[in-house]
Amino acid sequence: MPATALLSAVVESSVNKLLQLDPDSQARLAQLQGARLIAFIDPLPQGVMLVFSEQIDVLMVPESFDTIVAQLGSQDCCIKTSLQTLPELKNTNMLTRLIQQNKLQVEGELAVAQKVSGLFQQLDIDVEEIVAGYTNDIIAHQSMRVAERIGQHAERVFANLATITGNALVEEKQLAAHRLAVMHFSDQVNSIRDDVAKLEARLQKLEQQ
Amino acid sequence: MSDNQTNTSIDKTPTTHFGFQQVEKNQKASMVANVFDSVAAKYDVMNDLMSMGVHRLWKRYTIDCSGVRNGQKVLDIAGGTGDLTAKFSRLVGPKGRVTLADINLSMLKVGRDKLRDRGLVGNIDYVQADAEALPFPDNHFDVVTMAFGLRNVTEKQNALNSIYRVLKPGGRLLVLEFSKPASAQLSKIYDMYSFHILPKMGQLVANDAESYQYLAESIRMHPDQETLKGMFETAGFEQCDYQNLTGGIVALHRGYKF
Repeated sequence: MPATALLSAVVESSVNKLLQLDPDSQARLAQLQGARLIAFIDPLPQGVMLVFSEQIDVLMVPESFDTIVAQLGSQDCCIKTSLQTLPELKNTNMLTRLIQQNKLQVEGELAVAQKVSGLFQQLDIDVEEIVAGYTNDIIAHQSMRVAERIGQHAERVFANLATITGNALVEEKQLAAHRLAVMHFSDQVNSIRDDVAKLEARLQKLEQQ
Repeated sequence: MSDNQTNTSIDKTPTTHFGFQQVEKNQKASMVANVFDSVAAKYDVMNDLMSMGVHRLWKRYTIDCSGVRNGQKVLDIAGGTGDLTAKFSRLVGPKGRVTLADINLSMLKVGRDKLRDRGLVGNIDYVQADAEALPFPDNHFDVVTMAFGLRNVTEKQNALNSIYRVLKPGGRLLVLEFSKPASAQLSKIYDMYSFHILPKMGQLVANDAESYQYLAESIRMHPDQETLKGMFETAGFEQCDYQNLTGGIVALHRGYKF
């Protein structure tokens, strides 16, 4: 439990720090004043509750999804999903399909979930401005350009790696034995192993005679 | 221990413990007040130092277990410098109210100044109150919390009875307090830390070794987990349970009024 408390503390301070870095986020946060979003994300052992005021408070929820749903207020939204589905929630047009596929369960005020999604997706953090506060404008500008170039280079390297890996897999696949052939070979090896064991047993028997 | 082990000396003056000392019952409150008057200014710094910041996680866990919702009334007894109150204030929103109560005026002032500096105004009341005789109506609060305060109360059972009275039916009490470590090994390390290192830290940072010696002693004199749970039940609380935190160094007791 102090471990979950530590997790929620880290998430809370990170989220609030991020929001502070974008002055425009305060207006979006104000729209959520008094709202609560409770998320049960499989396989996390507990639900996570975000309470919106002039900042975001993050709490762990020891109660079950059904208990929380029974206590929902008019400004509350409770969702149940899995870690794999989480990236798909970025696209709000996908929500209906995810609900139909039972990958997402939403109870309460859906608008709260949509506003929370907007709050984070519209984050616009001017990193250069923040760095300039610690250094000066020129160093900050140069650092950002260097970081940009490194980022672009890394992107190209990853793209090339993906292509190389893809090609290798396709070409190797043609040379590789089929799954059935591997199974047949394994069966043959097992059969020989059994025969050898039988022969060994017969030899021992003959030696004893 | 505590109320259950209050003694009566030869001259029939009722006594109780103050750390490891036996003192007259009517003196304990003022002696505890002296301790907290002395440490109030450095209370937060010392808490962070002594617990290496873990007290924040214990308090956060208490808030997680409180189930406080928008519009509710919360009483934070012995709220000291307002750690729990700050969070409750945001959780209950403008329609709810949080009452920060402390018997010690110095602590209450430090808490009030800290919360106001953080912009937390509007839904917080500050009340100087004795936990044994809470000045609130019956069935008034949805949640009552008491973090690291119960062991300083002279008659703990009276305090629990008083809390039971002010809680609404369906309300819950959460008491976060130092307790008995679950393992003997941890207990030894903890004893060494509290009796040898803690007073030295108190001397160094707050220039007050005695208050921190009292802190260590008062923890040892506090009822253990099961005894406190029994006291909850005696007061009338139901579905009482407790959870050990950090190996039982601290325990969170919970009880409901139905």
